[in-house]
Amino acid sequence: MPETYAHPEVLVTSAWVLDHKSDPKVRIVESDEDVLLYEMGHVPGAVKIDWQGDLQDQLIRDYIGADKFAQICSRCGIAPDTTVVFYGDKSNWWACYAFWAFKLFGHADCRIINGGRKLWVDRNLPLTKEVPHYPATDYKVGESGEKRIRAFRDDVFEHLKAKKPLLDVRSPKEFTGEMLHMEDYPQEGSLRGGHIPGAKSVPWSRAVNDDGTFKSASELKAIYEKEIGLKSTDDVIAYCRIGERSSLTWFVLTYLLGYPNVRNYDGSWCEWGNLVRVPIAKGA
Amino acid sequence: MPLKLNELIEELREADRQERIELLIDLAKSLRPLPARLEALKDSTHRVEECQSPVFLFVEPADGVLEIHADAPIEAPTVRGFVSLLVEGLSGGTIEEILSVPDDLVDRAGLVEILGMLRVRGLTGVLRRVKREATKAEIGRSEGSGKSAIG
Repeated sequence: MPETYAHPEVLVTSAWVLDHKSDPKVRIVESDEDVLLYEMGHVPGAVKIDWQGDLQDQLIRDYIGADKFAQICSRCGIAPDTTVVFYGDKSNWWACYAFWAFKLFGHADCRIINGGRKLWVDRNLPLTKEVPHYPATDYKVGESGEKRIRAFRDDVFEHLKAKKPLLDVRSPKEFTGEMLHMEDYPQEGSLRGGHIPGAKSVPWSRAVNDDGTFKSASELKAIYEKEIGLKSTDDVIAYCRIGERSSLTWFVLTYLLGYPNVRNYDGSWCEWGNLVRVPIAKGA
Repeated sequence: MPLKLNELIEELREADRQERIELLIDLAKSLRPLPARLEALKDSTHRVEECQSPVFLFVEPADGVLEIHADAPIEAPTVRGFVSLLVEGLSGGTIEEILSVPDDLVDRAGLVEILGMLRVRGLTGVLRRVKREATKAEIGRSEGSGKSAIG
């Protein structure tokens, strides 16, 4: 019998989405890297939440506060008991980031459309330019998930000293320090190249198939457990450049493989590679 | 800055947020396809490395001006829209006109407001690349080898 995901209910299919298109307890959310894609056509009934414009504070480098989050949910017609289903471009990279941010604010039921925007478009499923409007909700922010799923630089330092597993999910050249930023992406200002000592390199993209869907449970275990040597009981921190790619890895380890102790270090290399006197390793 | 580009930038600047998004999408849709001879030359030397999406750029000298051709995927409408803006606004301009385009063009067009700081860096990279390729094409022309595409 094939192995199943630890929490298979967090991944939904396009058929499930179409079946629930009029379900008032379900809200579909598109989150993309390219901010124009939603306007060019989106899943009918979907609202747009932008990781940058909506979820990040515009002044300090942090996420928005609980009040602002409640306003966004209210605007999108999301109540605390709404099932929020994310999808987006780049193999759901930004959808996972938005999912993680919703978990920071303790939203209970979050899911991902397996295959994301690409698979939806490739299958010629319906798209619309109509922007839906839902009645505003009175959203009360739940218990913060920050402690469980977010790591700050001091946490990473402790982790490093305790020799606990750190995953670097950037591209191989970023890991070795040959390159300061993601290949083909603009340089985002790190003064040093390399990785956090002891971190293992597992590029995020290894967790997804070419069609944008996630790899099977047994394929994922072969990578993270057989090859990298992680155990489900490990306390794991994942990082990348600004915490977006590592939120996909966080999603995979937490929900598809069922690891209860995984945190995303969203400061990531853009913070670590600029800190004074922190240890850095170079090379493979 | 060439008149045509100036007009497009003004139009974007005066638009509200939603109209800007629609203008960029229209630009993305109206980018004309590469001529077949250039389609065959889409290789790493013509790729704009600053962009995460595959963007290809060709600047060719023609009758005292520079012709710009470019290609970018429709799945990345933001960058395709910006590339289209540059092609539309700058193709047929002189080297002086192209080099006179201000480096904060993206900001002037009001795009930072809709795209956010992180996304506009790639776009600024496209403009830098256009200027660099235009300079190379102009040098190629003055050295008397103006008949081939330089990129």
